[in-house]
Amino acid sequence: MQIGTIDSIWRYPVKGMRGEEIPHTYTSFTGLMGDRIHGVIAADGTPGHPWHTGRDQEEFVLYKARYKAGEELLLPPNLDASYSEWEPGIDPIYPDADAFKVSVETDKGVIYDDIEDSAFIADLEKLTGRSLRIHTTQKGNFDARPVSIFSISAAAKLGEELGMDIDKRRFRANFYVEWEDQEDPFYENSLVGKTLKIGEWLEVIIVGRDPRCSMITLDPDTAEESPKLLQHLARNHAGDAGVFAAVLQRGRVSKGDRIILK
Amino acid sequence: MSRVESFRLTLDGEDHTVPIGEGETLLVAALAAGIDAPHNCQEGRCGTCKSWLRNGEVTMETSRPLSPRNRERGLVLACQAIPSSSAEIWLDFDY
Repeated sequence: MQIGTIDSIWRYPVKGMRGEEIPHTYTSFTGLMGDRIHGVIAADGTPGHPWHTGRDQEEFVLYKARYKAGEELLLPPNLDASYSEWEPGIDPIYPDADAFKVSVETDKGVIYDDIEDSAFIADLEKLTGRSLRIHTTQKGNFDARPVSIFSISAAAKLGEELGMDIDKRRFRANFYVEWEDQEDPFYENSLVGKTLKIGEWLEVIIVGRDPRCSMITLDPDTAEESPKLLQHLARNHAGDAGVFAAVLQRGRVSKGDRIILK
Repeated sequence: MSRVESFRLTLDGEDHTVPIGEGETLLVAALAAGIDAPHNCQEGRCGTCKSWLRNGEVTMETSRPLSPRNRERGLVLACQAIPSSSAEIWLDFDY
């Protein structure tokens, strides 16, 4: 049964920085290729969550990270062969590490050609007063689960409840979806424990609701803080918005793909 | 030093006078008084109980979700904030 459609696909080359909308993606057990590959670790961060993010420096959500390799990072080069040569499918080979290099543009328009440039960290340390370093992995730095899903209807309903425009990008999801069920704007909450097929290949299980922190209070275009959003979620929605998924079957996903309840 | 026995709390445009016991956090006191104060983790992680300490002094065991901008603005975490002087406290969630 079709229950929805992929409205848009997003990944975040650097954890905490602005995301990028992409037309299609390869999603593996470790999430979307190219998602949260880089992160900035703070020496004074907590052992469990040492990341420097918008929680520490609001304007960090305005920083733009771009893969220098561009389209090369949308799908693994041998994706089709990895599906067809062996059952049940072999994990395709990701591009070499150099392909994951990103340039960064700050909220002030300063551009660093490579996030690994020592000048980037030096300037960020000077700005924030923190001791920082870049951490890079080709398979993603996630807080909780590799895939996050959030509906357009949930964003609209929250905006209606709060009497303000709620930009879906505040929720930093991978898949924004349109549900067929227009009666329940938070339909994703009813899917916990259910398996979904997205597009031709990808299968995920919805493993839980997404507990939110102050990151969602930051406007993705201005970094201004709206504490009422998080307060409202806590008082009316158990603090959650959107759901997490774990991947059961890897696959390609494109904007507009159907979502089937298995 | 006399301790704080109650504090002023502003939420949804309404002012409340909240009794508080020694060593209690502002959030625990507010919830005990039946006030629907915004909160979630209660461990100083999520930042849901960020609020503006308009007056008074508190100590916090952890304040990780507070950015430098938040601190400059006088924000605290209600789940961590314990009065640390006899100064009158005014906590505002409508900041």
